[in-house]
Amino acid sequence: MAVIGIPQTQIHRLSQSKYVDSIRWLPSVSPLQQSAIVAFFDTDADSPSLEVHSLDQESKTLDLISSWVPPSRISSLKCTQAFAVASTISGSLHVFSATEAQDPSSAFRSVVAADGKGFHVGRIAGVDLMDGGSNECVSVGEDGRVNLVRVLDGSYRKVFDGNGLVSYTAVKWASPTEFVTGGCGFGLQWWDLRRPGSAVAQFKGNLEKGRTSGIIHSIDVHPSRKHTCLAGGSAGTVFAWDLRYQHQPIILSGTSNDTAAQPLSESEVWEVQYDSYTKSSMNNFSSSKLLPAMFCSEDGILGVIDQGEEPTELLAEPCAINSFDIDRQNPSEVICSLEWESIAIVSRP
Amino acid sequence: MPGLAPGDSAGGGPDSVNGTLVPYSSDSHVSAIYPLRHGLNPPISRVSVSWGRGNSLRVSVFRQPDSDPKSDGEVGGKVVEVTLGKSRDGEISDAQWRKIAYGSVSPFALLQSRKNSTASLSRMQLSPSPYHLEWWEYVMEYSKDIGSLLGDPKTALATLIEDPNEVFPKKVEEPSSLKAAWELMEMFYVDKLSQAWLPERLVDWLADYNSLISIDLPTVHSKLVEFQNQIVTLQVIEDDPRYWDLISSALAVGWLEIVVKLLRLHGSYRLDQLGRRETENGLVEAVAVLISKMPRMRPAIDAGKIGECFKAKPDFVKAWERWRAQITKLDSSAFWIQCDHRQTREGLKNMLQIMLGNVDVLCSSTCHWMELYISHFLYIRPFTAGLESMYSLAQKCFRLKHTSNPHKLMRLMIGILGENNEVVLAECSRGFGTWMVAHAIELLTAGSNEADILVHEEREDLGGISLEELHRLVYAQLLSSHLLTWQIAPIYLTSCMRQGMGLLEILLLKQPVQENQMLLKNLEICRLYELDGISSHLMEISGMYHWKHGRKGCAVFWLQQAHDEVRLSGIASQLFDSVGKSISGESFKQWEGLIELLGSEGQLAGGLDFLHKYRDFKKCLQHAESRKDADAARQAVESLMSLMRNASTPQRFWLPILYDAVKLLSWDEGPLINVGQTNLLLNKLQELSVARLRPDFVEAELPTQALNHVRYSLATNLGRAILGEL
Repeated sequence: MAVIGIPQTQIHRLSQSKYVDSIRWLPSVSPLQQSAIVAFFDTDADSPSLEVHSLDQESKTLDLISSWVPPSRISSLKCTQAFAVASTISGSLHVFSATEAQDPSSAFRSVVAADGKGFHVGRIAGVDLMDGGSNECVSVGEDGRVNLVRVLDGSYRKVFDGNGLVSYTAVKWASPTEFVTGGCGFGLQWWDLRRPGSAVAQFKGNLEKGRTSGIIHSIDVHPSRKHTCLAGGSAGTVFAWDLRYQHQPIILSGTSNDTAAQPLSESEVWEVQYDSYTKSSMNNFSSSKLLPAMFCSEDGILGVIDQGEEPTELLAEPCAINSFDIDRQNPSEVICSLEWESIAIVSRP
Repeated sequence: MPGLAPGDSAGGGPDSVNGTLVPYSSDSHVSAIYPLRHGLNPPISRVSVSWGRGNSLRVSVFRQPDSDPKSDGEVGGKVVEVTLGKSRDGEISDAQWRKIAYGSVSPFALLQSRKNSTASLSRMQLSPSPYHLEWWEYVMEYSKDIGSLLGDPKTALATLIEDPNEVFPKKVEEPSSLKAAWELMEMFYVDKLSQAWLPERLVDWLADYNSLISIDLPTVHSKLVEFQNQIVTLQVIEDDPRYWDLISSALAVGWLEIVVKLLRLHGSYRLDQLGRRETENGLVEAVAVLISKMPRMRPAIDAGKIGECFKAKPDFVKAWERWRAQITKLDSSAFWIQCDHRQTREGLKNMLQIMLGNVDVLCSSTCHWMELYISHFLYIRPFTAGLESMYSLAQKCFRLKHTSNPHKLMRLMIGILGENNEVVLAECSRGFGTWMVAHAIELLTAGSNEADILVHEEREDLGGISLEELHRLVYAQLLSSHLLTWQIAPIYLTSCMRQGMGLLEILLLKQPVQENQMLLKNLEICRLYELDGISSHLMEISGMYHWKHGRKGCAVFWLQQAHDEVRLSGIASQLFDSVGKSISGESFKQWEGLIELLGSEGQLAGGLDFLHKYRDFKKCLQHAESRKDADAARQAVESLMSLMRNASTPQRFWLPILYDAVKLLSWDEGPLINVGQTNLLLNKLQELSVARLRPDFVEAELPTQALNHVRYSLATNLGRAILGEL
């Protein structure tokens, strides 16, 4: 029973009649406006679109501001204070100005774009851009290539070409010169642009003997703890890899893990992000304890894991939650894309 | 879907009528043209067509293989999909259908699990706990959940619009016949509480869906809408015969609040005329008050609607007789003579006749047989109960207002009233599609054993499956034909005892596995239904797909996951080909990722674990060389020996490995490799020399003197080692 006076988590589900490939909050241009960038795929017309919607605070409905037609479906989408960057399954990358995108009077189009045979072959699996970073966007693909694209002019340079011998599925900047990639077999690679040629550290992903292996789908690095990266992937796995203790991953969630509580999910974890809204349970802020993390999964769970605590469930849907994003200016607000052609907005009290 | 024509279905068999099992109508032979947008420049050399998902064709268009080097930027071919035919039902768009499909999954699954637990309870001969609901109440919950997906026109109707000219409340959402049909089924088969006042439920139902029941002929609803558009232009409304006509019609079908509202538009209510038309106004108001006092046999009435409700039959009968007496009294009142306005007088008298249940007046006031039917319930036989008497009344009304081409809702209605479950199922399927029939079976069987036997009986002519299973399978087929809904199909397939699992396996194997995300969603379904065999098969398919597209890492990963040793060994030899060329110092970095993936010893790798050991050997060697480190050198020797001892080390790598080992053999600080080890290496070298004579031997890319060099080094080392061991 709801206790009157205590605000409850509010959930709004918005049916879209188009498949939502990915969804992100855009940085607000004014305190009154909240908008999101959504990658849609219309199966009836067989056409993808990238749309900017403003969210009505009262009715929680989305109003279209602007729309752009990408060359193919969007495979990865990220936003920073200044830019939104989207990659496609046909191997092109597009950068947008975050402020222009929310302005109905200006044409919504990509500022720069990178593609071509030398860039990526096939699907780009992950992109990332860093606030206050080098203004370079890192892109990784199943073709095993790692590229850096300058957002100012769209020129790109190759960091690594795995020639298909490896496939990368996720990427995240850790510092202006370092980033982490993830791939098959729960593998993580730490790259340092000051030491080019290959990854400077590798995590082998044998989390435990006898476990089934899987694919990393999402990585996050907290700006205050650049040596630790958080990764989510197959079989409900969420773990942290600390560069200082490279052979001891900290498993936060996953199957066949006897020590931790019953995992919320046993299926694919599609996305993980540090959750700055959930306050860590420990008062004395220990640096060895991991920060709370949010994840979404194929079996329809949006949950928060805090090391050493019971995981909490924010949303349990009958269908998969494919992506989510926490609003950085207003971290109580979470937006999710659901498998059944809809969007859910979770407003925490 | 082609169906048997209604005329010859009785005869049956291939030899009836014209000898065809499924008669074609000639108009289906009209050819349709679908433009292809492949965007390729001519000449097109080849086109191949195959079936894609659902009703789409996959057309592959190939260009002439181009010898002209200038145009090498162009693609050699393209695959385009052509969707044949368009949306199934004009009323409901594809996107809405998908929304309904998504939304009905949870209620359906919940009801099935409840059914299973109830069945297991009764199998254990336990009496259900008194707190448990009756089965029909569960079905009712299911029906309400599903019904809410189909739109809710009622919420819009309840708000009467304040504008005095706006007689007929506008509906925000157009009612759908799917919802109308669902409500009919719920009303007749599930809702036990409404059985006592079924006629009144039908009155409400008609108020909601009157606009749907006829396509070409007018209905009371269409007449009202038409009149409303003209109402502003009318100066003296009561002079218009249509005004009185409409009031009678609305009264006949029981839309009392609209009648009262219309009556209050009468000119005698206007302040400037009230003095002159006092009697007339009195009569109008008297009728309006009588109407608003009409007794209704129902538990409650929606806000905004009028009438006095009675739950118990004796109370109602008393009120009904009193009300009728008041009408008769008014009818024979002396005031009528004083009423000068002819139209008003006749119109009001006509209304009194309707309320007194004059069949002829009712018949002339209504358009459709269903409207006449409803008016019978309201004014002639308010106590009609039992489907049999309802059916005979419906037949009577149908005869009076015969339509040649009844609407699908009316066909369903007749089927329900006629208590013919087979007809109801057939009409659900014909008129409302596979979704409807798959879900409405639950309603049909909620309270009727007869229907339960009908749909659950295993039929020889259906290959041993029941009607219920048949309809679920058909619906699942429809779901699997769409990119977005196929993931729902397993829910329905697994509820089918006989053929469900088989079809599920076929469905899963047919899904495209090109994208990892799709594959993973597929594998998740396999995991849920414990289909491990299918799951490995899918991973194998995906592995081979990635291999063919040059993503060797992905391929190895999926084949490892599938435990497919055979294919891993198969691709190993191809991988070694490229290793042989590229593995040297710098380029080893590319292999690093793949080698990490292969994991250490003990893991399944189909001979690929060789790469791991080879890499370790190379690493140690590099260390030993660059730092002149004896420990590293000893480690290198160990890896060398394990490589040469291991049977999985391909023969073609023996010489390159031995050639690398020359540095260890000529180690300055004394022999690192002892006599026994040297002998083993010499034996390997001997074996290699023999193998080189075979025609299929692959020569490593090494200097021509490499073999002699190795042989010389080994011999020297042997000498040093023997001396060292003395």
